[in-house]
Amino acid sequence: MILVIGGGPAGLAAAVAIARNGQEVTILDSAPRAGGQYWRHRTRVDGYKSEKSAMYLQEVAQNPLIHFISGANVWSASRVKDRFAINYLVSGNELTITAQKLILATGAFDRSLPFAGWELPGVMTPGAAQSLLKGHGVLAGRRVIVAGTGPFLLPVATGIAAAGGTVVGLYEAQSPLRWALSPVALLLNPSKFAELLYYAKQVRKYRIRIQFGKGVTAFDTHSAVVSRLSSDLEVVAGSEEKIECDVVAVGWGFTPDVTLGGILGCAQKVDLDGTVIFNVDQNQRSSQKDIWIAGEATGIGGSDLALVEGEIAGLDCVGIGISPSLAFRKIRKTLFARALQKSYPVGNGWKKWSRNTTKICRCEEVSLQDIADSVTDLGAFDSRTAKLFTRAGMGLCQGRICSRNVSEIVAGLQGCQVSDNERIGYSNRPIATPISLGELSDGKSTK
Amino acid sequence: MSAPINFTFNGSTYSGEVGQSIAAALISQDQRVLRTTRFDEAPRSIFCGIGICFDCVVVVNGIANQRSCLVEITEGAVIVSKQ
Repeated sequence: MILVIGGGPAGLAAAVAIARNGQEVTILDSAPRAGGQYWRHRTRVDGYKSEKSAMYLQEVAQNPLIHFISGANVWSASRVKDRFAINYLVSGNELTITAQKLILATGAFDRSLPFAGWELPGVMTPGAAQSLLKGHGVLAGRRVIVAGTGPFLLPVATGIAAAGGTVVGLYEAQSPLRWALSPVALLLNPSKFAELLYYAKQVRKYRIRIQFGKGVTAFDTHSAVVSRLSSDLEVVAGSEEKIECDVVAVGWGFTPDVTLGGILGCAQKVDLDGTVIFNVDQNQRSSQKDIWIAGEATGIGGSDLALVEGEIAGLDCVGIGISPSLAFRKIRKTLFARALQKSYPVGNGWKKWSRNTTKICRCEEVSLQDIADSVTDLGAFDSRTAKLFTRAGMGLCQGRICSRNVSEIVAGLQGCQVSDNERIGYSNRPIATPISLGELSDGKSTK
Repeated sequence: MSAPINFTFNGSTYSGEVGQSIAAALISQDQRVLRTTRFDEAPRSIFCGIGICFDCVVVVNGIANQRSCLVEITEGAVIVSKQ
């Protein structure tokens, strides 16, 4: 049996490729409906090229060879001889599924950077604003600032405006001129111009004010401080401006979720942008036999690349050769993903956006001062020791939100770079989804 | 649309639509603060919105640490910030 973990674009493309070649496949996904974060929906997906998602969602719903298990939180996985045992929870009940072949399409989540006031209600990721709107039909706020970097800010801002919210401003930290660094990637992906045009029209239609080279550097319940930023995210002195709003949706690209593949021993590496991703070959095979990995976990590249990688993984998994045109499509989309990294870099200037009291670790309420003290007073020499002294990264989220930031801050205080080993270390954890001790011991919910 | 779902949060009654998460239903009714923190008792709300950050955890029918951005509202659910 073939098991796909993750029901976003990559996982769905893999399952469809497998089923079209006559084999049965099961998809495990944590959400109530297929589509992942990008194709999140209640009744139908809307937005740019939504008909493409409709095709996949329809095929997953109707093809009798595809089984979709929703609401499944996978928390551990192991190899038992020539099979994989995957443990997951559905509404607190522990279940296990076995498979001979695994395709991991676990996706990514927004990367967040700390700034003064980022713990306050009203600050959220663009993904949260998108999930409230697309998944639950609720506007994140009445007057919303969308900020950070990357093309994902466009669907978030235009989605809020289309639903009747006021987008006070869209602040993209980087200059669009950076795209000039990647002429080949642009020429090989002409469809991206159509997408850009689509969003340009939406932005004009809803009169959204886009400003480049700016970002939110502080928040205080009813207003945000928007500052001019250098390409390294340093605040240009004197440029700070107070803007009234009730919500700030701010994100700095994405962090791939590598936990599950890490538990299964799949080799990882550090990408150009510092994110930890899996090492896969041209057919999406991981370093572990019978495990394929597709989508954001092999490098942030967006849904187009995820679809291609998913299809390749699915085909290779059932022994079908990859056509030259599909292989070329992957190369084109990979070049575009590289261009994204070059166009939307996240420099180190954010380290000065926090106050000493700002909580860098939101779960354990560890402040910037606490981390600095652990280095200067207690002699922490890397982020792991700093985390042991302060408990940063040891809360419920298992460091998913803060561990990279803590490492960068500690490295900055010591005047060194974060090593690749340290990056791979903080990106992995022994349990994929935090579960209660009761669930761990007796396999039942702790009611 | 189907009938609204009624639930309580910290003793007050709220309503929402079928399939809405606890956080979404509360935010749509201007109840943005979902809990206060352990040490500083600082207010917190939804942050990542997709079950990663655990900032929005509440107690649902006596079960602690439930992510209100993921758990859907059910009729008569008793939700509190703290046990």
